[in-house]
Amino acid sequence: MIEPTVTLTHLHRADGSATYTHNGYSIIGAVNGPIEVQRRDELPEEAAIEVNVRPSIGVGSPRERHQETLLHNTLRSIILTRTLPRALIQITLQVRTLPLEDGTTGVNSSLTLLPHLLHTALLALLSASIPMRTTLTAVLIAQPSSPAKNIVPSLLSPSAHDLVRSKPVRAVHVFAFAGDGRMLLNESDGRFSFEEWNEACRMAEVVCCGEEEEEEEEEEEKDGGGVELEAEGEAMDVDAQAQKESLDLWLRSVVRRKVEGEQRWRRAT
Amino acid sequence: MPREAEISLNEREFIKQALQEQIRLDRRAFDAFRPLELTFGDEYGVADVQLGKTRVIARISVDVTTPLPERKFDGIFQILTEFSPMASPAFEIGRPTDAEVILSRILEKAIRRSNALDTESLCIIAGLKCFALRADVHIIDHDGGLIDASCIAVMAALQHFRRPDVLVEGEKATILSVREREPIPLSILHQPLCVTFSYFEGEIFLVDANLAEEQVRQGEVILTMNKHGEVCQIAKYGGATINPLALLNCTNVALQKVKEMSTFIQKRLEEDAKQRDAGGLMAELSAENAR
Amino acid sequence: MAASPAVLLPGDDIAPGSLPKGTGKKKTLTLGPGLRHTPPDTVTATVAGALLTDNKKNAASVDYNSGRYLPFAGDLVIATVNGSAAENFNCLLTPNTPPATLPHLAFEGATKKTRPQLPPNSLVYCRVANAGKHLPSELTCVDPSTGKGEGLGLLKGGMLFKVSLGMARRMLAAKGGITLLDTMGAKVGFEVTIGRNGLVHVDAGNVKTTLAIGQAIQEVDTAGIEEEGQRKLAVATLKNC
Repeated sequence: MIEPTVTLTHLHRADGSATYTHNGYSIIGAVNGPIEVQRRDELPEEAAIEVNVRPSIGVGSPRERHQETLLHNTLRSIILTRTLPRALIQITLQVRTLPLEDGTTGVNSSLTLLPHLLHTALLALLSASIPMRTTLTAVLIAQPSSPAKNIVPSLLSPSAHDLVRSKPVRAVHVFAFAGDGRMLLNESDGRFSFEEWNEACRMAEVVCCGEEEEEEEEEEEKDGGGVELEAEGEAMDVDAQAQKESLDLWLRSVVRRKVEGEQRWRRAT
Repeated sequence: MPREAEISLNEREFIKQALQEQIRLDRRAFDAFRPLELTFGDEYGVADVQLGKTRVIARISVDVTTPLPERKFDGIFQILTEFSPMASPAFEIGRPTDAEVILSRILEKAIRRSNALDTESLCIIAGLKCFALRADVHIIDHDGGLIDASCIAVMAALQHFRRPDVLVEGEKATILSVREREPIPLSILHQPLCVTFSYFEGEIFLVDANLAEEQVRQGEVILTMNKHGEVCQIAKYGGATINPLALLNCTNVALQKVKEMSTFIQKRLEEDAKQRDAGGLMAELSAENAR
Repeated sequence: MAASPAVLLPGDDIAPGSLPKGTGKKKTLTLGPGLRHTPPDTVTATVAGALLTDNKKNAASVDYNSGRYLPFAGDLVIATVNGSAAENFNCLLTPNTPPATLPHLAFEGATKKTRPQLPPNSLVYCRVANAGKHLPSELTCVDPSTGKGEGLGLLKGGMLFKVSLGMARRMLAAKGGITLLDTMGAKVGFEVTIGRNGLVHVDAGNVKTTLAIGQAIQEVDTAGIEEEGQRKLAVATLKNC
């Protein structure tokens, strides 16, 4: 799995910011908070959370409102809103680029974008040091239709290109897990049985939360496309490590870089 | 209603005093722009402009639609700017601030009304089908100079963009996809660029003020012109009165700045074209024989 | 400090072994910003940063240098006056937050008849008297025990410079002392006032020097310059004044 590339705290006006690029999707996220909240949105015991998703072309449509609601509900369960009553945490996500084939995958495009939106929002929140209960990671699992005899394996975090190649796709699932393994978000689209959902859920959990052992993960691999867990494993030298990688480890490496940057004055003196 | 935080008295006095002593806080000359960076996306028509700390992204997209009944031979071109809280917590979505209204009005006059883009070239079949071009301007970071940066971004993106080619046979038109035929550039008639002058007490004019300078200034004048010296518009929305001769002087300074910016944009476009054409692929694809 | 401090993510529990052992007089563990206590024994991080422990003071916190300033009681801050209400001045510690209150009488020698005049948008150096999540913060310009000003009050002239919160903390720390300022202070006279909310006020009497000093401080902050580099920067800066 190629790891996403991240740049943190690069905007000057926002309290926290992150640019996240993965599989052709690039999103800029900014967080302001805790700031003053409008009377009408004020909550007496907790912080109000405002999520704005700005599409790359045009102004928002109901699709963006739907994504905002999903993000709001997911993030609300990990931000410690009770420590900041009557304040506002404002999260803005600007979609910068979408992969060229995004419109032709035949898959619900608000779901394909969702894991990337979640990651960008989380990174921007970490950059703004908003107190949180835990972190989260999210992944998309696609289940292509299988002809009668063959079982086609599920695609883990496929790129738009992979989705086009595997058309028609029967079902698509987005899962988000908290750092402690709780499932925070579960959105699916298409036709699937409970066993298929369960299998997708297990696959997602492995990728998001990772196995128990600590592995040295690669920061950036130079290879394209998602990984089908059965197929191309042998081709790469790093495949044994690649399969043990998890999003949790990737997130830790991003935070480690941030903290090391902030601590460099200590090493200098 | 969130408001932009006002600058403190100490900062205001300091900036004014420094200007009297011919010093700008970032040591720039009074007529110098901040360092300008322009990068293009992988797809055609995305321009990312960084002017000092201000960052603006413009994106051009195209769609096919019916032309307006009163303009049957023209395509449609829209510029949309909507501020988001990303650029500054003072911006609220859905409630345009004065700055937002002024920005869209200036871009409208500078680029659309001045016919920078030849909309007739966007027509496919007169009265039935035309291209609708849309420029989305996203403000990512706000440190002043939004009008100048947005104009550069939109013009650069327009020149970078490639629209699909069309095959017209009588009353039938076929839009050729990217794989069938190379997309073609837009027909740009001239390149208007904006230069914002902020003025202060004592006939001091600054080019490209950052946010702090914008909050201290007495008013601003926005000039739009192209590198041939043709003035597209001059806007002054209120502010203290200024000497008309000073305004003429600004026009001369603006011309010089616009020429510099145009050369810069051109250079970047050429570099980007070379990168896309890495390895001289275009030459290979050509069917000409080398004799 | 330690070679490479532990990197914490929100949700990470601190192992009991990593918590400070109270070698000093205090026996109860104090948790600073970035840590949360879940009874009975769990301490969890709430932000991303490095774990900082102090065995003598028996305190632990997370060291991070991003995000907005949050007021804590006892902090010295530079506030911007927004306006005046019945008994208080309304002051902003950071932009776009609810204002903090600074009572008219919280100044040295202020009585009901002689209130201090603070025009809107002026800068005041004050201390956070109390801050909590349910009430707006309260500021004061006197030391509550002595009733004296101690250098708090209206800041005149000079210029304001933004620095990161970590830099402000270091500058305020007792012996953290910034080599840059010590070296420059030997040659040129100037006044520096540091607010924990990431603002530094510099007044050197003239524009050039003030600007040079302020920008040198910002450079040390963004580039993470160490002592030797700070000395060189100080010399280079003074040469240009």
